[in-house]
Amino acid sequence: MPELSGEDLLAAEYAMGLLEGEDLLAVRGRMARETAFAGLVAQWETRLAPLLDEPAHAAPSPEVWSRIAGELEERDEAPSPVVLLQRRVAVWQRIAAGSAVAAVAAVALLFVPLGNTPAPATDAPPLVASIPIADTPLRIGLTFLPEREELLVAADGLTADGAHDHELWLIPPGEGAQPRSLGVVAPGTQERVSLDPALARSMRQGAQILLSQEPLGGAPDKSAPGPVVAQGTLAKT
Amino acid sequence: MTPASPERREQLKAAMLRLSKGDRDALEVVYRLTSVKLFGICLRILGDRKEAEDALQDVYITLWRNAARYDAKRASPIAWLATFARNRAVDRLRTGKVRRGAVPVEAAAELPDGDPSADDLLIDAERTARVHACLDTLDEPQRGAIRTAFLEGRTYAELAERNAVPLGTMKSWIRRGLLKLRTCMEGGE
Repeated sequence: MPELSGEDLLAAEYAMGLLEGEDLLAVRGRMARETAFAGLVAQWETRLAPLLDEPAHAAPSPEVWSRIAGELEERDEAPSPVVLLQRRVAVWQRIAAGSAVAAVAAVALLFVPLGNTPAPATDAPPLVASIPIADTPLRIGLTFLPEREELLVAADGLTADGAHDHELWLIPPGEGAQPRSLGVVAPGTQERVSLDPALARSMRQGAQILLSQEPLGGAPDKSAPGPVVAQGTLAKT
Repeated sequence: MTPASPERREQLKAAMLRLSKGDRDALEVVYRLTSVKLFGICLRILGDRKEAEDALQDVYITLWRNAARYDAKRASPIAWLATFARNRAVDRLRTGKVRRGAVPVEAAAELPDGDPSADDLLIDAERTARVHACLDTLDEPQRGAIRTAFLEGRTYAELAERNAVPLGTMKSWIRRGLLKLRTCMEGGE
């Protein structure tokens, strides 16, 4: 009788949770760097998800919610910097929409959601890029703050495989532009990166952002990205 | 079983959208709508109330931290959340943080009658019917093995031991079953 085999088998076994040890680690690495493979896993997750609808209902103790609320409270946990940025982005969209009333409200709001990192109201609009990892719910989110020359990189979806790193590259708009490294991505984190002023000036609307797979430590030759695994475009919001 | 409720599904969708924009109150709404289902999933895998509650806490905290990553246009937030919770619970088993409890799940927890969060209501009935119909086309040892592997997070070795068959036989059952399942599902995808 025929059996499932090859890549699709591995993807199904991963989605089922059948793998352990070395096999599991190896496949996690592939999930992070091979979008086609991650797509196969996502397909299996979608196929299998309805099985979870089988009733297994059980009520957790009421304390669980208090513990969750407490944990968020204790660290005074604001949502990630990326969420905060998205709020500001929404504000900028309203300003761009040209409604005077909305704009006034928005400027007032600018000071509210940012909490302990107040932003000058004169900030230039942030630029954003979303780099989807094919057929998976994962994406790397970039937000660039021109005035601060800071780049926020949300790479929660990436997992380190111990054999490769991923590096972000900027290709400024215009013909013949050379790729410039924005640095190696720290998998599973959201981090804030300061760009040098020259590089920051090249972060313009329409610039391409590439994600490449590199040896550990990043590209040995900073003028040549390795294999490109995903890409996006910097845009106003 | 209660029929699917478009209203509850919309409530959850709206709450997930607010959550993805950083609204903390939305997390509590999501919790109320989904925690019974997600706890059931974690408990079935971990077999221990305390471990399952720790897993559940981890699921919602992680959900909050990664809210920005959630694609609010996704068709079925409950399916996504269920998969997310299942994967976190299986991760806990595989990374050795947790030893599976010995208590049978059925005995470990009772859902109070009439609990409003009994959320069969959130289910997309049609999609569920399809996968179950496809599972029903499988022969018994294959079907049982796939369900147990997925719902309880068992490995090949554990399944082989439980069914008292050689490891190779168990692998073969599951691989045949998965192929048949895929073929059947693709017929309707």
